[in-house]
Amino acid sequence: MGHRDVATVGLGGPVGSGKTAMVKRLVPRLDDAGYNVGVIANDIMTQADAEQLQASFEGRLPEDLVAGVETGACPHTGIREDPSMNLAKIDEFTERHPDLDVVLVESGGDNLAATFNPELADYFMFVISVAEGDDIPAKRGPGVTQADLLVINKKDLAPYVDADLDLMERDSERVRGEEPTVFTNCKTEEGIDEVVDLIERSVLFA
Amino acid sequence: MTESAAFLTALRLSDSMLPVGTYTASYGIEQYLNEGRIETTGDLADLVAGYLRGIVGPAETVALGCAHRSAAAGDLDGVLAADERLAASTLPAEFRESSTKAGGKLLDLLADADGPFEGAAGDELVEEYAAALDAGETAGHYPVILGLLCQRAGIGRREAALVGAYSTVTGLLGAAQRLGRFGHTEIQSALSGLFPTIEAVCDRYHDADLEAMCSFAPLADVMGMRHERADRRLFMS
Repeated sequence: MGHRDVATVGLGGPVGSGKTAMVKRLVPRLDDAGYNVGVIANDIMTQADAEQLQASFEGRLPEDLVAGVETGACPHTGIREDPSMNLAKIDEFTERHPDLDVVLVESGGDNLAATFNPELADYFMFVISVAEGDDIPAKRGPGVTQADLLVINKKDLAPYVDADLDLMERDSERVRGEEPTVFTNCKTEEGIDEVVDLIERSVLFA
Repeated sequence: MTESAAFLTALRLSDSMLPVGTYTASYGIEQYLNEGRIETTGDLADLVAGYLRGIVGPAETVALGCAHRSAAAGDLDGVLAADERLAASTLPAEFRESSTKAGGKLLDLLADADGPFEGAAGDELVEEYAAALDAGETAGHYPVILGLLCQRAGIGRREAALVGAYSTVTGLLGAAQRLGRFGHTEIQSALSGLFPTIEAVCDRYHDADLEAMCSFAPLADVMGMRHERADRRLFMS
């Protein structure tokens, strides 16, 4: 039993786009659906962050299935060129919990060029927010174009930051072809069920 | 004359592209910087020279050389003894963890039948060592597995020691560069300034007996231990 025996979902995207908020929404749903879930967060830089993350899943996940992985100030390397330490952490998870079904691997905050190594993540979702500019899909960054799922989060903020959601949707379709894009609001949980549904269909029922 | 394939493997093993996670280890350098103990590139170069003389040479290079020599003789016990002694000589838990995690990943590459070092797959000694590691009978320290791999790849013991020491030095300098503000040309100057020390410790220790192994870098050990409870951590060690 090791990292090759468990489904993995990579969550990438720029700092502040809502990756952690997404993980916090996904875990209860996957847990309620009967899956045994583990969470790895890359670059939890302070002890306070680590404790806060573990506390947020208290009663849901065993403490030893919520872990940080340091990436030596190279967040992209940790998920792309050399995911060794993330894979080693997944191996630790599966040794202690052989019945583990899925591990969510959250990157440490990326630029638009970041992608997940396919040997690390079976399913790669890239999370951006409308507040980072509605031109992000049109830039065709590899994260946006190569992700299995593009999530455009904080859709409720669009009117306050002059973001054109229709433009973002059109651009996403144009640069991503058939691959899905979902608009979400992690605070109200809008769109989250659709994300869970895509994960389930893509990697858990596959 | 070194065979081209062996030389290329030596380059490959010294390259930061090798996917074994060594970029996540700073072996105490992060804590030196957290505590404001390194101000200049000169401070950093002096510190790394201290690592070479106190840890890399007398502990890691001795282990690597013993593993290489034992591998050549088909002596699994000799490889295991090098592993055990290096574990005992490495005091900070995070130093051991960084070394064994990278070592495990290197062995995965080496031993995987479908992996990138296919010549080594099926090698009896490598398989026996991997079985001992799986069974928790040995720790799997990076210098030991590197010594084993270099021997199997046809890289001589002294060259293997240079590969190990060079990789460690660039790892330490690279960690400092990513955390502090050191110029890229200054770091390269520091690296070339360390070449004589790299060469000297490799010459002195690559053929040493296992009984000669020691490690003496008390402040680095303290930094490694304090790092376990550091409030800010970007590195595993």
